Amino acid sequence: MQEDFHYYATYCAAYLAGYSHEESLDICYCAQFVDLCSATFLSKIKAPTKAATTQLQLEMMDTRTDIIGLQDITRIWASFHFLPKDLYATKEKRSKRYMSKYRLICGPNGDLLEKTVRLARGKSLQHAGIAMHVLADTWAHMYFAGTPSLVINNIDRSFYEILEKDGEEYARLIKFRHNPSAPDDIEKGLYTNSIFQINENSIMNLGHGRAGHFPDYSFARYKYMPAWGDYMEVLKDNPSDYEKAFTQMVYALRYLRGDVDSFEKDTYDTAVMDKYGDRIREIIKKRQLSASADWKSFGEELSGEIIEDFDLATYEDEYELIPDDSKNKSFIGKFIEGALQQKGMVTDEISKAGINHAGFVIPIELDLRKSG
Amino acid sequence: MTKLQKLKNASFGIIMIITAIVMAIYPRDAYEYVIAFMAMGFLVSGVAKLGYYFTMARYMVGGRLILYSGVVLFDFALITGALVDVPRIYVLLYLAVLHLFSGLVEILRSNEAHGNGGKSWRLKLFHGLVDVVIAIGCIVLARRTNTAVYMYCFGIFYSGVIRIIQAFRKTTFVYIR
Repeated sequence: MQEDFHYYATYCAAYLAGYSHEESLDICYCAQFVDLCSATFLSKIKAPTKAATTQLQLEMMDTRTDIIGLQDITRIWASFHFLPKDLYATKEKRSKRYMSKYRLICGPNGDLLEKTVRLARGKSLQHAGIAMHVLADTWAHMYFAGTPSLVINNIDRSFYEILEKDGEEYARLIKFRHNPSAPDDIEKGLYTNSIFQINENSIMNLGHGRAGHFPDYSFARYKYMPAWGDYMEVLKDNPSDYEKAFTQMVYALRYLRGDVDSFEKDTYDTAVMDKYGDRIREIIKKRQLSASADWKSFGEELSGEIIEDFDLATYEDEYELIPDDSKNKSFIGKFIEGALQQKGMVTDEISKAGINHAGFVIPIELDLRKSG
Repeated sequence: MTKLQKLKNASFGIIMIITAIVMAIYPRDAYEYVIAFMAMGFLVSGVAKLGYYFTMARYMVGGRLILYSGVVLFDFALITGALVDVPRIYVLLYLAVLHLFSGLVEILRSNEAHGNGGKSWRLKLFHGLVDVVIAIGCIVLARRTNTAVYMYCFGIFYSGVIRIIQAFRKTTFVYIR
């Protein structure tokens, strides 16, 4: 997902869940911040780089895909962007080596999602924002894994977008190119993706890189043969999935506020759709590269307040100027605490499932004064 | 990383460093060994690729490509092993182009890292410049018959050191409950 959903749609979900305008801004800021909190950024503000929730392209290019590099990558991408659906999934006649990657495939309503949302309860708004990012991405990034893997994340040429003309559905072949500076062309069906690399652990085979940004567009409906799918085609219906993501966020945020006693999988706040369904569906289905303006306008109508655009530098000074022993009380300090808890929980669960792609975990008290 | 993986990495790094030093001391006999190592490299890659196919890629859509690439690498190993008589100038040109390309890419990435405010740009710039210097060295010293061996030894030595450093890096993730 992109800024339109992580920032503006999350604001709308938080406000509809009962949070104030200011609280909603904090939550959506952190949901979006997950996509920008890299080791480079943390190192710039002298914060612990182990709390990174994403990796810049440059950082990924530098990461060696040996076991240590793979563990760094998997900890970040599986914990925050591709939450595994079932760490104990079974598939007949597969090697252990294969299954250790297969079990990292992302999907909604898994046990780890439940743990993610429950972990955020009673914590900071920053932690709630992180949980909303993770939750939303389980819908957009379904069928891809947060670890480099050719046998899981590769796609072949038969990747079709489902379009509609005169009420009739038809499939149009998507053309992928490898020019990262060229914007996606929705009209011509031309999208940028990562280069095919025959190496299992190449960074090009991380997540949905082989399908480019296409899975991140809310309007996208497509069918393709995932590498792991035994030559069976899957149909991905983003408008329907994004609607579920939105209503599940509202439900999860109600739980985090304490309005709902427990968080259960496959449960959604459908009342929101009864009232605002037409408007939300219209935004989700609109064919555009970014739906930020539409979500922003909807959010401002809901609260009657101005939603400031996201600015990465907003809380930098506060973190740098606050005394060392109070860093964990700062906005970014609280985000770091939430990020480390989420990363630790997911890494621990992956490790307990007998999968060593995310490394081992040692629980210890956090000292924000130490960077690195 | 488990203790066994650390031990394996460190041992492999030490063996690489020793091999590089021994070859640099005896460059006249080393050329054949360089070819033998390259052939062995292809052989190991080919076998690894075939192993990858049988344990993972055969379950993947279009995975047969991995089988073919394993077989091709295996063939390369046999061909390389038979190329002891190739003039060294070609090996040097290969090394020069390889290092020049790597060097330029590293310098560009250093520039990007600097722009992003990262701290690693100096190290990248250094790596890039070293690569460019090696490339120039390969061309300038092309007439010296042992240059290819020294360049190859430097590469092995550097990789050995990196492996040892990797082996002792902290690999556990520390988090708060």
